[in-house]
This record gives sequence, structure tokens and C-alpha cells, in this order.
Amino acid sequence: MTYYALLFIAGVAGSFHCIGMCGGFACALGGDPRGPGATVVRHALYNTGRLTTYCFLGGLAGALGWSIYTCLGASSPLGAPVVSETLNAAQRGLAVIAGLLMVLMALQFFGFWGMRRLTTGFGGSTLVIALRSLLTRRGHAAPLAFGVINGFLPCPLVYAMVAQAASTFDVLTGCLTMAAFGLGTFPTMLTMGGLGRLLAPRWRQRGVRLAGSFILALGLVTLGRGLVPMTAGHGLHHHLWHLA
Amino acid sequence: MTATPEGLCRHCLLPLGRRGFARTVNGESCQFCCYGCCIAHQVKSGSGEASEAAWFLVRLGAGGFLSMNIMLFSLLVYSGAFAGTDRQVLPTIQLLLFGLATPAVLILGEPFLRETWSQARRGRLSTSALIVLGSLAAYLYSTLAVFRLGGHLYFDTAAMVLMLFTLGRYLEAAGRARASRDLAPLLAAESESATVVEGLEEHRRPVREVRAGMLIRVKPGERIPVDGLIVEGCSHTDDSVISGESRQIAKTVGGSVLAGSINLDGPLLIRSSGSGDESRWAQICRSVRDALRQSSRTQRLADRVASAFVPFVLALAALTLVFWAQRLPLDQAMLAALSVLVVACPCAVGLAAPMAHSLGIGQLARHGCLVRSPGALEALAVTRLIAFDKTGTLTLGQLQLVDLAADGVGEDEVLARLAGLERHSEHGLARAIALAARARGLDPIATEDVQIVPGRGLRGVVDGELVAAGSGALMHELGWQLSPALAERADVMATSGHSVVFVGWSEKACAGRAHAALSFDDTPLPEARATLEALRALGIRVTLLTGDHAASAARVAATVGVDEWQAGLLPEAKRLALDQCRPRDGAVAMVGDGLNDGPGLAWADVGIAVGSATDLARETADLVLPGDGLWLLPWVVGRARAVRSTILANLTWAFGYNSVALTCAVLGLLQPILAAAVMAGSSLLVVLNSLRLERLPGPSYPSALQLSAAVRPESTPQPGEQTQRSRQRLEIPQTL
Repeated sequence: MTYYALLFIAGVAGSFHCIGMCGGFACALGGDPRGPGATVVRHALYNTGRLTTYCFLGGLAGALGWSIYTCLGASSPLGAPVVSETLNAAQRGLAVIAGLLMVLMALQFFGFWGMRRLTTGFGGSTLVIALRSLLTRRGHAAPLAFGVINGFLPCPLVYAMVAQAASTFDVLTGCLTMAAFGLGTFPTMLTMGGLGRLLAPRWRQRGVRLAGSFILALGLVTLGRGLVPMTAGHGLHHHLWHLA
Repeated sequence: MTATPEGLCRHCLLPLGRRGFARTVNGESCQFCCYGCCIAHQVKSGSGEASEAAWFLVRLGAGGFLSMNIMLFSLLVYSGAFAGTDRQVLPTIQLLLFGLATPAVLILGEPFLRETWSQARRGRLSTSALIVLGSLAAYLYSTLAVFRLGGHLYFDTAAMVLMLFTLGRYLEAAGRARASRDLAPLLAAESESATVVEGLEEHRRPVREVRAGMLIRVKPGERIPVDGLIVEGCSHTDDSVISGESRQIAKTVGGSVLAGSINLDGPLLIRSSGSGDESRWAQICRSVRDALRQSSRTQRLADRVASAFVPFVLALAALTLVFWAQRLPLDQAMLAALSVLVVACPCAVGLAAPMAHSLGIGQLARHGCLVRSPGALEALAVTRLIAFDKTGTLTLGQLQLVDLAADGVGEDEVLARLAGLERHSEHGLARAIALAARARGLDPIATEDVQIVPGRGLRGVVDGELVAAGSGALMHELGWQLSPALAERADVMATSGHSVVFVGWSEKACAGRAHAALSFDDTPLPEARATLEALRALGIRVTLLTGDHAASAARVAATVGVDEWQAGLLPEAKRLALDQCRPRDGAVAMVGDGLNDGPGLAWADVGIAVGSATDLARETADLVLPGDGLWLLPWVVGRARAVRSTILANLTWAFGYNSVALTCAVLGLLQPILAAAVMAGSSLLVVLNSLRLERLPGPSYPSALQLSAAVRPESTPQPGEQTQRSRQRLEIPQTL
């Protein structure tokens, strides 16, 4: 459970980063003229769409890990111990990737790294124009669709979490990993829908710094999980968690 | 806004092709090449709530929401999350999947179904039929399984196949739109409107309704819609659409402006000098549009193969189903057949050539090079021999009068008559004569009924008497005598490599005679040598075909470094010379500029007109380079080769990929979802591979070092050598 709590917190902290991009969307989605109830439904639908995409990506990553698992299990002639060892190595490799991604992302928060070139690729502008037209549309399907597509927009934090999910080697766990993370982004994103315009840029910047520190820590923990042997890694994990 | 020209997609301006359909957007009837373009157009010109574009994204998003849930639950079922104690929830999960899949198939499948139906009504089997058939089969089988038969469900397959193909369409449309980005300003000429000032009122009118003499107001930042003179205001303009050169030119009252250029910083009032559809911009627009509308031979072949493919694939899928049904459970056999249907969809094939072509044509256009047919680009890519005309192509085309030998008449009379005659010609000589006459303060004598005698000269009438100017052959044809003294002087002129023009006229209804011989000199272009060397470095043989005297051809040939040349060729002889080269070199290109080259340009596989090409040359040329644009030629050839290799790579990829994947599918090795992902990936790869063309470097003018090698005095052969070798193909040793 600690694992999911940690991911939830990662989502909460990471969502300060989201204020920049997704928060902007949430603001733009705005209120519904039919009243506060409709506005809540509108934002809930948007976030449900986003969460679905995250869960899907998590499940898919988990399935990928799972298929690696079954492949290794089936093809190894030497029996279970070797399998678990190979798996262990693969799991740690993925943890290292996820950790590195998070560290890179944290550095970007502090203004060290230009990841922008990496994340804006082909067709970006076309998609953005198209998305803009969705924002102004009324009705229930539009915010849902917007959330779904929003979930696919390039975001290093999501990449890192997907790598995490892949390292779980299980569809359900992978899905839940991303769900925990996605739920973590809910509070900020839901608040953003109403408060976004009130939040001063200076506060946003502080929030981004805070998110950066937390993600750096989480990235280092994940990296440690990959580099330090599993049992010791868990100890360190908990230790760091208590420190934070 | 007026309608887009017939036969082109409203959004990406590419040919409509097989999937073309019409749709009413914002009250206008528009033609689109594909569903994606229809959507993208609506997104761009989006008129708020009514736009169907948003509806497409809602469709994609809501479909994505449903299919991702389907996929997630299916994955959970496959991975055994509901095995053991949770087994009793499985039927509920199955119902849930059905509940999710039904709207998903309806939402995502509707465009494909509509397309299949509209094609089927015209008796055609479209590729979307494969997708519809495949996904419906999976959906119906799974529905039966839920309510009757039990067994495995394939809702995930149906939903994801549709989802991935929808995504593929969108990528395709985005790629096409991007490919035509460079062409947009060129093609805007016909849909542009102008602000016409009538008295105190101003109206927006389509450009084609603008007539000569109308007053047009152009705000800063707008494109100037018609050619004209500035009546009021001053500003800077950017003529890059017309000339290919991007630089600011200052304009004030009385200055002329060109349609298509951008008015940069001040408001202008312009008096139109011609009707809107006669401007060079409109002409360029028409020629580019024609180029885009034609499809090259490669693409036609690919399309034909692709359309023959559909029935073949249907048969193959049926065979696969029958074959596997005898060996495996029915659902497995159906899955294999489904993979066959899905993986065979030749989406990428239709995209292979048009995207590369429009990228290539667009980039060339940005540098002022106009391509009149996509086939020309492909032909230029395989050309191994380029024949050049001399005057105005390899030389500055600005001849200067060097010597004048008159026989019994005054020099001024000769020049005045000649100037009167040559006023009607666009030949390089005419300008030199006009300059010489003006330098002496002479008025050209008015000449009527002037006719061009191709390859020989001009003839006209002054006060009822015949006047002619041109080669010795023309004088001979007219039966006009040359005095021995004049003939000798002319020989000397010719042997020193100059162009010689004889002038003669008849007097008092007697038979005329040649009264004077004039010699002209032309300087080779500074960049000619570097350009020809660059072409040779590309593996292209270069030859010179000129109607001029052999000696002057030899002189220019040596200066620019051409090994082979033929001189004294009439237009028909140029055609013959090109024919002689064909067996050895395959496709041949001809570069020229004047009237003389018209037949040659038309006869060559690729006719290339340079600079101030006369209208006839431009009509017969496949490719028009801008004025002073000879140095662009090696870059153009390189670009043509890049386009061709991209197309070949695309087609190889698309067909190769299809056949390998199809084999896997027939053997039952490919899951349908994977097959759909493979096909979407194939489209994406073709798009990305074509977009690589965008990243190739632009042209660069030859460096000072290369130019300094251009004019080398020691490479000019001595007159004595030339006379022995004249009028034959010469091999002058290269001095470099």
C-alpha cells in the first residue's frame, strides 16, 4: 500500500508541474453555464478521460512486462531460480530507466535541461489547433474526449510512471500504479479548474520547484531500487520515505 | 473566398484521388481527398460549434475512451486477473465489454462505413471495405459469443483496429497538409480577394473580377492581388513568391508592384495594370496546380496495383478462413482471416508519391523554380545528359556590338533599320542593337509585318521594301548577294568567335542585297563553369547545342568547360541531336531560353527554361528556373533525385511491408490488433520518410573560388585552330 501512497504523492507533487500545461487546459475548459453542478461534471469527465488514458497506458506497460515475463519463463531451460534472476535484472533495468527519466525531468523543472525538443514532435501544432476547438465545445462528450487525448500528450512525468508500471510485470498492478499516480493529480487539477486564474505566477513557480525537488527524490529512490540489490533497496526505500 | 480549382483537395491541395468526396463546409461545397483532410480543414477554418472537426475529435476521444477501457478489461482477463476466486464476475465483465464495444464500433466505424457505401454505390470496392468487413466480423462474432455460443471475445480487436485506422487517417492528413505548406502562397492567387476602391466605397472582390485600371487598396501585411502601379503611398515589398529571392524592395508612387508579393509596411493604393487572372502570379498558380493535378507514371502504376489488390485480398482472406477452419477452432481461423483483411489495406501506397511530389514542387517553388508536372521531376532524376543552349543560358545573353562592316551605306542607316526590325524580337541580339542605336542617338525606323524566321533571323517591311537581318543562310534563301569584301570581313568576324548578323534590304523593288555585317560578342555567365562542373560531379554529361556560328560556340564551350558541342543547328536539328543522344544516355534534358529552343525544349524528356524565358519556351518547358537561376540547376537535379528516391523508398516500403505482413497474416502469425498497429505505423513511416525531404539543404551560390575559375583567358582557343574544326563536334582538351 505504501507503494501506491508514494505514487499518489508523486502525482500530487508532480501535478504542480501540470499547472503549466494541463492546468492551462483545465482553466480553458472553464465553467459550464448551466451552473456549478454542471461545471463539476465537466471537470470530472475531463479528469476521468485523463485517468482512463493513464490506466490504459499502465495496463499496457504492465502487459508488456508480463509478456516479457512469460517469454523468459517459457524460454529458460534452467528452471525457476535463473528466471527470477533474469527477471530481477530486467525489473531493475526498468527501474533505472524510470529513475533516470524522473531525475532528468526534475532537472528540467529547475531549468537545467531542455527537454522541449524531445517532447514536441511531429504534428504537435496540428493537434494543438484541433484540441483548442474542443475546449469551447459544450456537451459531455467533448471534455471526456479532451481528457483522453490530453492523457496522450507528451509528458516526461507520465513516461517515467509508465516505465514504473512496466517494471511491475503485471497488468493489474501496472494499471493501479498509473491509477494511483493519476488520482494524485486530481486534487490540483480539479482545483485548477476553479482557482487557476487566481494563482499568481510566482506561486506557480514555487510549486514547480517543489514538484522538482520531490520528483528528484523519487527518481533517486527509484534509481536506487534499480542499482542497489532488491532487499537492501526496500530498506532504503522505506528509509527515504520516512525522511521525506 | 472562392472555390478551390477542380480536382484538388480543398485542404491539402493535392489531387483528389480515389477516396475523394464532397462535403459542405460553412455553406460552401468543398472537395476533399480524404476524411482526415475534411476534418483538418474544418479545424483550420473552424466556425465554432457547428464545425464537424470538433466532432471528429470528440469521436476520436470518446472512441478512445471506450476502446481503452475495452482493451484494459480484455488485458486483465487475458492476464488472469479474474481467474480463481473472481471467476463468477466474468459474465458481467463480458456484458460490460459488449456495452462498451457497441458504441465504440458505431462511433469509430461510421466514416469507414460511409465511405465503403458511397464507393459501393458507384460500383467500386474501396480499401475501407476491408476495414469495415474485418471489424464487423470481429464484433458480430463476439456478440454471438456473449449471448449464445460462449468462448473468446474479440471486442478489443474490433475497437482497436478501428481506432488505429482512424489514427492513421489523421496522421496522413496532417502529413499532407504539412507537405503543401510551401505551396500555399503560390496557390493562393485564385482564391485571393482584392479591396476595390470605387469612388468613396470599398468592396472586397475576387481577384478574377479585377480588370485593368481599377483602384486597389492593399493594407500592410497583405498580399498584393494584381500587377499594377502605385498611385498613393510608399512601402517595402517582398517578391519572393514570384522571383524566389527574399529581399525587401522599396516602392514609392509611380513604382510598379507585382501580384503575389507581400506589402510589408505601408498602405498602398494601386492602379491595376491588367486583369487579375493575367498576372504572373496567377500564371504560376495555374501551372503549379496543373502540376499537382497530374499524377506521375509511378503513382498511376501504384494506384492501379492497389485497386486490383482489394478483390485479391478479399479472396485471400476467404481462403485463409477456409484453410484454418479445418485445422483450428473457428474463432482462431476468423482471427487469421481478419488479420489478412486488416494488414492488406494499402493506405501507405496512396500516400507514397503525392506527398514527396508536393514537398519537392513546393521547395523548388520557394526558390523560384516552377515545375509543370511531377513526371518532370522523376524524369530529371534519371537524366544522364543535359544539353544547353548557348545564348542567354550559359552566357549573359547581353550581346554587345563589336564591329560593323557596311557596304556602300552609312553605318547609322544600317543601325536604324536593324533597330526598327529587332524591336519585334526577344532575341539577345535585339537588346544589343537597341543599345547601340540609342548610344548613337538614332531613332529606329518603323517596320511593319515583322516575321521571325526560326533559326535564321527576322524579316519585315519598310515603306513597301523588304528588310531582313540574320544569318548568311537567310541572305542565301532570299537570294541576296554578298559583296566579296563584305563576305571576307564577315569571315574574319566569325573566325574570331563572334556572332555575325547580316542586314540587307531591297531598294526600289529591285532584288535586295546584304548591305552590312555586324559582329556581336557575348560573355559567359560567371557561374556557368562552376554549375557545369557541379552537374558533372552528379554524373551528368553536358553538351552545348546552339544555332550560333561554330567558332563562337567553341569559344564559349571552352570558357565554360564543355567538351562536346554542336553549332549551327536549326531548331529541327536540335531535335535530331537530342534523338542521337537518347540511345546512349536514356532520358535527356534541354536547357534553353529563347524562341529557338521551343521545339528542343518540347522534344527533350525534360525541357528546362531559364530566366526571362519567352512565353512559348515557358509553355513547352517542364521546368522553369528564375532569371539568373542557372546556378540552381545542380541543386534542382539533386532535389529531383531525392524526391525520386524517396518515392521509390516509400513504395518499396509500403508494398514490401504489405506483402511480408500479409504472408505472416495468412500463416496465422499476426494478431489483428498488431496488424492494425503495423498498418498505422506504415503510414506514419511513409509520412516521416517524405518529410525528411524538408530537411535537405537549400541551394548555395558557387563560392568566389569556384567563380574565379570561370573565366580563364588561356582556355580560349586561337582563331586558327577553330577554322579547321568548325561545324563538327569538337573535342577541346579541358584545361583544368
